[in-house]
Amino acid sequence: MSTHAGGVKVSGVPAETKSRVPSLDGPTILRREARAKNADKIATAGVSLLAMLGVAILALIIFAILYKGIGTALNPRFIFGKPSAYAAGGGIWPMVVSSFYLAGLALVLVLPLGVGAAIYMAEYAKRGRVSKLVRFGADSLSTVPSIVFGIFGMLVFVTYFSLGYSLLAGALTLAILNMPTVMRVAEESLRAVPDTYREASMGLGATRWHTIKKVILPSAMPGITTGAVLTVGRIIGESAAIIYTVGIFTAKVPWSPLQTGAPMAGNIWYMYTEGAKIPDFGRVASGEAAFLLMVVLALILLARLIAWFFGRHMRGSDRFV
Amino acid sequence: MIDREWIVRKTLFVFAMVAVLGILLIVVLITQQAAPSIAKAGPFQMLFSSNWNPDAGHFGMLIFIVGTFATTLGGLMIGVPLAIGTALFLTQMASKRVAAPVSRVIEILAGIPSIVIGWLGLTMLVPAIRNIFGTNQGSGLLAASLVLGIMIVPTITAIAKDALEAVPAAYRQASIGLGATRWQTIRHVILPAAKNGLIVAVILGMGRAIGETVAVAMVIGPATAFPKSLTSPTHTLTTKIVTDIGEASGMQRSGLFAMALLLLLIAMALILAVRWVARDREFAR
Repeated sequence: MSTHAGGVKVSGVPAETKSRVPSLDGPTILRREARAKNADKIATAGVSLLAMLGVAILALIIFAILYKGIGTALNPRFIFGKPSAYAAGGGIWPMVVSSFYLAGLALVLVLPLGVGAAIYMAEYAKRGRVSKLVRFGADSLSTVPSIVFGIFGMLVFVTYFSLGYSLLAGALTLAILNMPTVMRVAEESLRAVPDTYREASMGLGATRWHTIKKVILPSAMPGITTGAVLTVGRIIGESAAIIYTVGIFTAKVPWSPLQTGAPMAGNIWYMYTEGAKIPDFGRVASGEAAFLLMVVLALILLARLIAWFFGRHMRGSDRFV
Repeated sequence: MIDREWIVRKTLFVFAMVAVLGILLIVVLITQQAAPSIAKAGPFQMLFSSNWNPDAGHFGMLIFIVGTFATTLGGLMIGVPLAIGTALFLTQMASKRVAAPVSRVIEILAGIPSIVIGWLGLTMLVPAIRNIFGTNQGSGLLAASLVLGIMIVPTITAIAKDALEAVPAAYRQASIGLGATRWQTIRHVILPAAKNGLIVAVILGMGRAIGETVAVAMVIGPATAFPKSLTSPTHTLTTKIVTDIGEASGMQRSGLFAMALLLLLIAMALILAVRWVARDREFAR
């Protein structure tokens, strides 16, 4: 820095450049340097502040939701209680069951579909028209708003296949909605498996499918499992796609996939749109929101723990390979 | 054995094609449902008239289109500085020990269900706006923009971070080596080099804002009218669909499907825009 201040000689610069560089005296350079340093300090402070603001807003959101609802949500009589459509003091047990039932059902559908498609893309497809088409399809699907999936599911599964408002109709809708994400995560995990594994297995005479089954899928499992847990979190948090496919209120715990359910996220929408019939709908919705948030955060944490655990495990075993 | 390989290969191919068939089926069926209302009103009336009265054969969607674009723009004005600032902080300024937890926290934000954010907006943000502005309404464009602005932060931050990290370290080293300050380096070297990736980040954040439904529905009003101020109720395309489709039938239902078709077209346009901006990069993935 101080070499600048010592006086810059512009005379050595070629003519064309020279005309664009104003010749500066020492004090001007010092002044500009000071200004640049000031700007740097201000910008650093500003950018850091923006990042901190983002974190603070998030903390505030989580704190506010828990503050409003945790008193209700942690009461076993609320979680395991029967909902009531007209009186105060209802619980949310059928909604809790619906949420997990729906997530399980959708996962059973989307996992083979998404992972299968990913295996095709990572292990079989050549770079060509087909793989471009599939990628464009998946990209397009992933930008379709979830309410559009919702009314599509209503049209196809609820009405056309006459499944009615049911867990199955919702699970089918959510399977298509989540397919691109599952596919992307699985494909990334599969591509991260070193080619030497494939070569070693096929060199030993294994067929391609045998190699995938015995070598590649097991190595990609940590990534796929993490993705699956995050998908469960996304399904449990989804509302726009399930309001008109699964249902938003039920007093009975659903046992068959063909029954109407009321996942927590949808039930909060019910409390907002039709809750006025229930004297304490605000308490129920706040408790449900807090419980839903805790479930989703727990799933995110679980996904991270799985990734961390497998990460350590795999690194450990790599030393022996 | 060869037979089995063939079966597996074909089965997996069918699985992969489900993505293609899925989007095709969505486009075809939604278009089919939307067709009667489009045939009746014509696309021009639909896009540029604000007269929404399906029973009388009027399908003007301008109120909802304006609502969608106004809330999206408002959301971007709040979310983009927050997200790009966070991405710059994470990639250019923070040490690893600070950056890791901040990234995690932003990822958690992406996981919070939108219905939960909507409920919080309805019960805390809207009353707060009511108090601050001294009005008796409170829900409207301002509340919706604030909610969207926060909700798009994780999407934009994640992609912007990738774009900034993809700038070769040599660029920064060269700039610092020439005596530039960190901010000069960011402004004149890093940001221009990452420009395409940052544009992709903003476009995808925009897509998320346009498609967001329940969180916006809970804080925007709703009312089928142009907003008179930032704090008066209105509607967007998604909120109109979600509030009305349950009890709609006949032409009204068809009109709502036409809105869904418009949302689909916007989503497709954004995908094409992303592909065009990132035509020589891998950011699109």
